Amino acid sequence: MTQLTPEQRAEVLERHLHEHGHIDPDGIDDAVSARERGDGPSPALGASIVARAWTDPEFKARLLADGTATVSELARQTVPISVLEDTPECHHVIVCTLCSCYPGGVLGDPPTWYKSFEYRSRVVREPRAVLAEFGMDVDERVELRVVDSTSEQRYLVLPLRPEGTDGWTVEQLAALVTRDSMIGTGRPLAP
Amino acid sequence: MDGVHDMGGMHGFGPVPIEVDEPVYHEPWEGRVAAITRRMVANSTVDRFRYTIEQMPPAEYLDSRYYERWLWAAERLADEPDIIEGMAAPPTPPPAGEPASAPRFAPGQRVRVGNPVTASHTRVPRYIRTREGTVVSRSSVWPHPTESAATGRYGAMEQVYTVAFDGRDLFGPAADHVVVVDVWERDLEEAS
Repeated sequence: MTQLTPEQRAEVLERHLHEHGHIDPDGIDDAVSARERGDGPSPALGASIVARAWTDPEFKARLLADGTATVSELARQTVPISVLEDTPECHHVIVCTLCSCYPGGVLGDPPTWYKSFEYRSRVVREPRAVLAEFGMDVDERVELRVVDSTSEQRYLVLPLRPEGTDGWTVEQLAALVTRDSMIGTGRPLAP
Repeated sequence: MDGVHDMGGMHGFGPVPIEVDEPVYHEPWEGRVAAITRRMVANSTVDRFRYTIEQMPPAEYLDSRYYERWLWAAERLADEPDIIEGMAAPPTPPPAGEPASAPRFAPGQRVRVGNPVTASHTRVPRYIRTREGTVVSRSSVWPHPTESAATGRYGAMEQVYTVAFDGRDLFGPAADHVVVVDVWERDLEEAS
């Protein structure tokens, strides 16, 4: 068993579960395809939430006060979610040092770097150095708040709205919102 | 448990490996293992899954890619009768409700993190144990992960707090940031 590749071990596991009637391989096919097609949540959902918060003060107030209820109006959530608002004085960045907890109900599956040992170990200790690797230079006067997702509550960053976007529609604004800007390792695109 | 998975603040890891335009799964088996594992957990607790991964020998954990660790856990959960029997059943709804007891701490209060070091599952990372911080908010209500991992069932609802720590108290005088961590009520005490 120890000499098998992960692919071979996965086949052994799936065959065993199938032969004992615990899974239906077609159902597994469907589940994989749905993930690969991005049928579920994806950064586009998060971007639409951010853009709406930038343009709709009443929505933003509800989003910040009760993220779980407000996000649930748009997409089903199985765990609580809290939205963290960046300001000119404070920048948030999220991590899960213990495993890979991520706002999947809003952004879909996390990128591999989010689950990497390098990110998990370093971002709580030296966030400015880690953000520099993402091309982000955070002014030393800006407070950096690193949020470790140790409970079932998930976190989404509401980044600063880019300057020069007055009068833009929600759709135009959403196109500027990157996945990384909602994790805190990037900024929205410049207009 | 004090495992290698508890990586926050560890030295020695290099630059973050950033991959542009990566696929959802890098190899087909990863998606299949992910789907199988989600079925296994749907009628148990995610804490039990995490705790299973944490049993990986440290050298093996560090030498494995992400979904290899899921595979390792799924192979072991496949030997657990209640996990297997739960795979065909409809998923258990997530736990909900108010905390079983009134919250003990309030925003603004100084608290000290306990030191719940046992071989059991804990979500208190090593780098905040015994350290003092300030309660930011009563963030969520959720069953305590130690029980959820041990039993595969969600127990009583408990208050969880978001606690802010001065980076210098955790990582020394060079730190100039704040670290915010969620901690269950039983893992906190009043700061003296």
